Amino acid sequence: MVLTAIQSTVRSSTTYQHLSDRVRYARQDISRAMPAIPGLPYLYVSPFFILFAIFLLFPAAYTFYLSFFNYVGASNEILLSIQMGPLLITIPEIANLEFVGLSHYERLIFRDSLFHRSLFNTSFIFFVQVPTMVILGLATALVLDAKFIRAKGLFRTLIALPVATGLVAYSTIFLLLFNGEVGLVNYLLETIGVGSIPWLGDAFWARITLVVAVTWRWLGYNMIILLAGLQTVPEQLYEAAEIDGASRWQKFRYVTVPQLRPVLLFVIVSSTIGTFQIFAEPYVITGGGPSNATITIVQYIYNQAFIQLNLGYASAVSVILVVLVSAMSIIQIRYGSES
Amino acid sequence: MQTQDKQEALWKFGSYIFLLVVTAIVLIPLYWMLVAATIPQSEFFSWPPRLLPGTHFLENFRALQENVDFVRSIGNSIIIAVSYTILSLILCSMAGFAFAKYEFRFKEPLFYFILATLVLPIQLLIIPLFLLMVQIGWTNSYLAVILPWAANPLGIFLMRQNMKAIPDSLLESARMDGATEFQLYYKIALPTMLPSLAALAIILFLNQWQAFLYPLVILQDPQMFTIPLALADLVGQQRVAFDQIMVGTSLAVTPIFIVFLTLQQYFIKGILSGSVKQ
Repeated sequence: MVLTAIQSTVRSSTTYQHLSDRVRYARQDISRAMPAIPGLPYLYVSPFFILFAIFLLFPAAYTFYLSFFNYVGASNEILLSIQMGPLLITIPEIANLEFVGLSHYERLIFRDSLFHRSLFNTSFIFFVQVPTMVILGLATALVLDAKFIRAKGLFRTLIALPVATGLVAYSTIFLLLFNGEVGLVNYLLETIGVGSIPWLGDAFWARITLVVAVTWRWLGYNMIILLAGLQTVPEQLYEAAEIDGASRWQKFRYVTVPQLRPVLLFVIVSSTIGTFQIFAEPYVITGGGPSNATITIVQYIYNQAFIQLNLGYASAVSVILVVLVSAMSIIQIRYGSES
Repeated sequence: MQTQDKQEALWKFGSYIFLLVVTAIVLIPLYWMLVAATIPQSEFFSWPPRLLPGTHFLENFRALQENVDFVRSIGNSIIIAVSYTILSLILCSMAGFAFAKYEFRFKEPLFYFILATLVLPIQLLIIPLFLLMVQIGWTNSYLAVILPWAANPLGIFLMRQNMKAIPDSLLESARMDGATEFQLYYKIALPTMLPSLAALAIILFLNQWQAFLYPLVILQDPQMFTIPLALADLVGQQRVAFDQIMVGTSLAVTPIFIVFLTLQQYFIKGILSGSVKQ
């Protein structure tokens, strides 16, 4: 964890520690003799765990359960009337459901072309966006790490500024910028003679627009993490490489990249998870169009669940999404930690 | 030797150019948003493009407020984000304190179990949470948005990591002075942890301020819309009134920018706390 800065603020309270050194043994006796309040730690963690169980664990399990059912309508039974027999907890019925077994999964995997489309779109964004952003983020971090650059703090703050724009806020900005009629981007392109590009009207360009938007939003975030990673690379390694006559590229390839490996891995894995969860951008910028060319998996879940009310089917898509994302993360971590 | 110097100078020059280009690309959309918010939509076309903000801000804002109750949605966002942040800080710091400073049965398994849930995408939870809120009649309520994410696994993780740095001797000397166990948390741990609490608070606030998918599902009454929902609602209308949308976007983003620029060290600390170093 990158927490040294936080911890150093705590260490400033060393005056206490000095006092404590002198009476350490006496105090240890006292604290051992003190009547411990047996349930106290549980009292501290229980508010967290109650909410955690109701709003995180239960829904996660219920999604899995729901994926084997068809949603027929809201149930009249009272919620959370969990029958607590002797160690028997039945899953509460919050909807009238019809058991359909694995048929949702069968339909999803073999027959649902719109789902396949959303999977393709999400993968396209993933394969173009993640490498672009990681390379660009790394380049920016490397430049900002160079000794000769002035006003580093200012540049870092400005490049990180999009992190503070909300998903919807920045999406609306890009909706305006890439608009075919009033968009500034097309206006500039026309003026320099390239001609206007149908950003939101063409399948390929609509996907590219999403890639540009997502990269713009997350570049600064990844740059900050990579920059922090770069600053932990020991200076001696570069000096040793220099003595051996290493070129700039060789220093990057044989010192920076191996040292930065864990941080790079974190950036890649979290970007992967991020791109598979994209929703606000296509919802606002492209609306999933043109003709479903930019519909993402999460958007498909949203449409299935809250527009068509196929809650069971949408749950099955959610389960597939979790499996996909976990599998990708595990593969990346496995591959990335090999030395 | 001289060619090497030249190469070095070229390298430096190139680095600066790269940095300036990246910064410009990042800033131009934000600047254009501010310009667009202050001019009527008809002037979006003008060539050369408008470089300076106009004076049409109030007119655009009036049109926006007539179209959607934007002031109300700012109020909703503030209520939700502030109460969520406070509640989550209390829950996470209390539990984090227990995990860092006390010994109890099942401590390790409980903690690693919480950590494991960090990988769950929130989309997985949305459908059952929606059903749950419908059943208990909480849709279109603040509580429905605030409660579910208050038990934040990342928050508890950060709090535990940071609270480990509180010296045991500090707590013990307070005990000797007659502090109750709760005072240890309230009077010793919280004040010492102020910087990391601030970092977490900013991340929590920002997440809630920007949250979209879950509020979109739970809050269907325009009166209850948060800022992101109100903005998305504007985009969804028949005629896309970009001037109004840009006023709304600037109003949503500018306060956050000010917070970002003044408290950016905490922002960055918060971002970094979420990352893995080794």
